[in-house]
Amino acid sequence: MAPRVKGGEAAYARKARDAVHLLFFQHHRLPGVRGWELRQELGPEWQSVLEVLDKQLQPMDLQVTRVFDDPTIIEPTQGQLADARYYITLRGSIDQKTAKTIGWRVDDIAGLAVAIAYIISKQGKAPRVDVERVLQEKLPGWRVKMSLDRYIQQGYLGEDERGTLYMDWRSRAEVDQKQLVDLIMSFGKRAEAKEKAEEPGEQETPQPESGG
Amino acid sequence: MSRAQAQEELRSIIGLCRTVTAGGVEPFAVDVDYILSVIRKHYPEIRSLSEFCTDAEAISELSGVLKRQDEWIQHQSTTLYKDPFLLSQQLMRMEIGAIADSFLRSWHPVLEMEQLSARTLAGSLVYWTDLLPMSMRWSQAEVAEVEAGTATIDEARELGIIPEEGFAEMLEASWRELGEKAGVGGRIGYWDWIGADTYQETVIRSYLACFMVSYGYADIVTDRFGENAELVHNPEPKAEPQRGKITIPTLVDYEEWRKWHRG
Repeated sequence: MAPRVKGGEAAYARKARDAVHLLFFQHHRLPGVRGWELRQELGPEWQSVLEVLDKQLQPMDLQVTRVFDDPTIIEPTQGQLADARYYITLRGSIDQKTAKTIGWRVDDIAGLAVAIAYIISKQGKAPRVDVERVLQEKLPGWRVKMSLDRYIQQGYLGEDERGTLYMDWRSRAEVDQKQLVDLIMSFGKRAEAKEKAEEPGEQETPQPESGG
Repeated sequence: MSRAQAQEELRSIIGLCRTVTAGGVEPFAVDVDYILSVIRKHYPEIRSLSEFCTDAEAISELSGVLKRQDEWIQHQSTTLYKDPFLLSQQLMRMEIGAIADSFLRSWHPVLEMEQLSARTLAGSLVYWTDLLPMSMRWSQAEVAEVEAGTATIDEARELGIIPEEGFAEMLEASWRELGEKAGVGGRIGYWDWIGADTYQETVIRSYLACFMVSYGYADIVTDRFGENAELVHNPEPKAEPQRGKITIPTLVDYEEWRKWHRG
């Protein structure tokens, strides 16, 4: 390999390592690093470095996630990329058993899912009383208030002075909103498909009789 | 309609607009033209400052409703839009376990690490060892009143308040010394250059180093974290009056000097 190519690879590897230090460890009150901070530390090719890092993280089921302040941005400008916040998140998903081991009860997860889905359906904000009312359909009142406070404390939801709930930084960083809404909307169809697949006889294909 | 009733009507409009802004009511469920006509109807009757404020508040809240309508249209045009009624019906139909499962499939938690390395711990222990006890750090400075006197220039020189040679000569001497220590055009660690047997001398050397950089006798280079600095000897002093003078604040801390002195 030519020494120049080798040198270039070494420089990229060093920058990817610097990016790991910036993204893995918490430097501010909240996790994540702004694009301009990455540019400052990694140089003008910071976005390529992130792409390389993302590929390197793939076998470990991790990924580099980018979150814009304005969730409606589709084709970002350089300025918006610099203002965006970058995180390392799990690439795949976790099952209920694992979620329990990291301190989440199934009620807590479902409550958060309902709160987020309800807020999404209300274009990103909804009065706290309305969210409480929806949650109280299936969860006891005392638990609803406690859970909402917990979601707010953990950064999943935010509450303004008027008592309006909105999606906070952690929901925007961690939850694939489109996938969540799609999964909820397609629940009936998925359940039917599962039932059909489990019906005895339907799965078994008739075997041709051999011999005579 | 009395003025009190008019104010009441405006307040109810403000309340309605706020409910829309908070997401309690669909933005297009509100008749903006009607609200505007009510505001317009009461405007000529305004007499006091508080009535003006209520009128302005109503307009401000109405603009919030229009903003919400704009957001609503934008949201509907995205792939994220699903009918809120259908979505809530679907949520009611689903069991808690199924909702949790849907969430977990779209949840990618952020990785957060807060970790101390052995190196950080070792560094902190050294800091702790060097840290003076609170009783010593907070002890009252003993200040004694002294009578002011006068001194001649020669006496001041003897006391070291005024340098014995001119400032330019001191800079030249410092530059020559840098050339000898770092080599002509060579570089030397900042602390290796300024560090001296006494703290006082270290501060003086740091002071001169600043001027050497400002007057083009030397350059200072730092790594991108600003932790390691080096002085670079300039074989020819580059007096460039056009060049903007830079100021590099460097802390010559007593504790740091002690640490350096101990090696």
